[in-house]
Amino acid sequence: MNITEIMRLLQFTDSTFPVGTFSFSNGLETAGFENMVYDKDTLHDFVKSQAWQATFTDGIAALCTHRAFLAGDYKKILEADNTLILCKMNDEARQMLKRMGKKLGELAIRLFDTDIAKNWLEDIKAGNTPGTYPVAQGIAFAAAGISEKDLFCSHQYGVVNMVLSAALRCIRVSHYDAQEILYSMSAEVEDLYNQVKDMKIGEMHAFFPELDILASLHEKGNMRMFMN
Amino acid sequence: MAFDYQLNETTSSSSKIPEVDFSHAPEMEPYLDEPQAMYVGAPGKHGYLRLGFEIDPRGKCILRDLDRRAPLIVQQALYFDKEMPEMPCVYILSSGGPNVEGDRYQQDFYLKKDAFAFITTGAATKLAEMTHNYSGLVQNITLEEGAYLEFMPEPVYPCKHTRFISDTSINIHPTATLFYSEIFMGGRKYYAEGELFEYDILSVCSHAERPDGKPLFREKFIIDPKLRNPRQLGIMGNYDVFANVIVMTPKEEADKIYDLITPFINRDNKTACGITHLPNDSGLLFKVLGMEPGPVKAIVRDFLDKVRRVVKNRALPEEFPWR
Repeated sequence: MNITEIMRLLQFTDSTFPVGTFSFSNGLETAGFENMVYDKDTLHDFVKSQAWQATFTDGIAALCTHRAFLAGDYKKILEADNTLILCKMNDEARQMLKRMGKKLGELAIRLFDTDIAKNWLEDIKAGNTPGTYPVAQGIAFAAAGISEKDLFCSHQYGVVNMVLSAALRCIRVSHYDAQEILYSMSAEVEDLYNQVKDMKIGEMHAFFPELDILASLHEKGNMRMFMN
Repeated sequence: MAFDYQLNETTSSSSKIPEVDFSHAPEMEPYLDEPQAMYVGAPGKHGYLRLGFEIDPRGKCILRDLDRRAPLIVQQALYFDKEMPEMPCVYILSSGGPNVEGDRYQQDFYLKKDAFAFITTGAATKLAEMTHNYSGLVQNITLEEGAYLEFMPEPVYPCKHTRFISDTSINIHPTATLFYSEIFMGGRKYYAEGELFEYDILSVCSHAERPDGKPLFREKFIIDPKLRNPRQLGIMGNYDVFANVIVMTPKEEADKIYDLITPFINRDNKTACGITHLPNDSGLLFKVLGMEPGPVKAIVRDFLDKVRRVVKNRALPEEFPWR
């Protein structure tokens, strides 16, 4: 990677990147309320499940989109977008992906001069495609010349950091705990990448019933510090 | 015209039944070796069921079409539901005992316009210990306009080194309703020293589309305990039993059912449940966790009761004491 690519990777991965990640907790708010996540160890386990879940759904969609962008295959980008929504069983998770995806799409057309990003945003506005965040990431990273492996790192960092940032606001853990978890999780990303790098869009899968139930409790509950 | 409401039964072993093959599924790649005993799909190891329900000329809903191949058995529809005595109820039995390695099954359920039915299994489905190959199941469920199907089989018990894969394809009219439930045990909890999550793989996929081909959702879960520990917080945690219920119904009914459900985590009897909307306003997804099959089944039945009340304005009768 050259310095420009590293700078852009940092820019797109930064928690202040304006796509609204700070608004979401991925079920942590409810997990904390239900006393399932209450310290560093339980938070680490929770973050690990979130990272695994994202790997085999959003991660695959992002990687497939990145490759489709480089191949100039817009149909495959739409396929990734639509398949991801079909496979996202949780209603609030679908809303989150669409909200963040559209924001990144709107930003992308200001940063890059690519017809694919423009067409995709038009298709979102016309209701022709859902406009999910992992697909937006795939488009943006490919347009910026960042490799798919680095995209995967950014995707994983985003998921883990989203939960850890929320944890500092709703779980009794310290900044030190959060950084230790993040440092430890980083060592697993290479292995996760190797597990999904050859998977096709139709291979997305997820089995996280406890997370699903937490998401449901949030969806029908009154807690609203976070949007999911 | 007597033949209009007679059972059209096919059991001839000479007519071909569809091939069931999951060798294309990447997760099954380690389990494709041939069994050392009877070969894959040998007679008696390739079960097939086709159940077709329709309204006969008298206005009665009947099991009109039945094709069955060993080891799957369906004899006839019974009308035992005291709250819906007009509804044909079918027990699926298996003469072969547990599903063993190299077994293949296909079940096709077809409900014509306005038909309604209840389908269950006579006992739990046991998935035997396996050393070669896998057991596979294909299901095709088709519901025409206004049709209504309750599919609530008994729980599935995987053993040590079980390899099982299923693919359920649903084709449903926007006005029809499907209640589709599956209950998966973590294993033979009370066998020997206890056997939980010692199977090799469970791969379960359900997907649905409209008659015009519009895809609605696709849920796939792969549980590979050696690759990812199901005991992880967020997966099964400390729970042993998992139920997954798909309800496909028009949006108006789905919204009413959704409003009736309160998700919970009950620390006293160690059960939990949650509900969400399926993509494309196609219905609801309901999940239950627990320690034993009885309480989980009771929660699933309570949910079915609510679905039936909203869609059919009828209650679910009490469970038979021997079930």
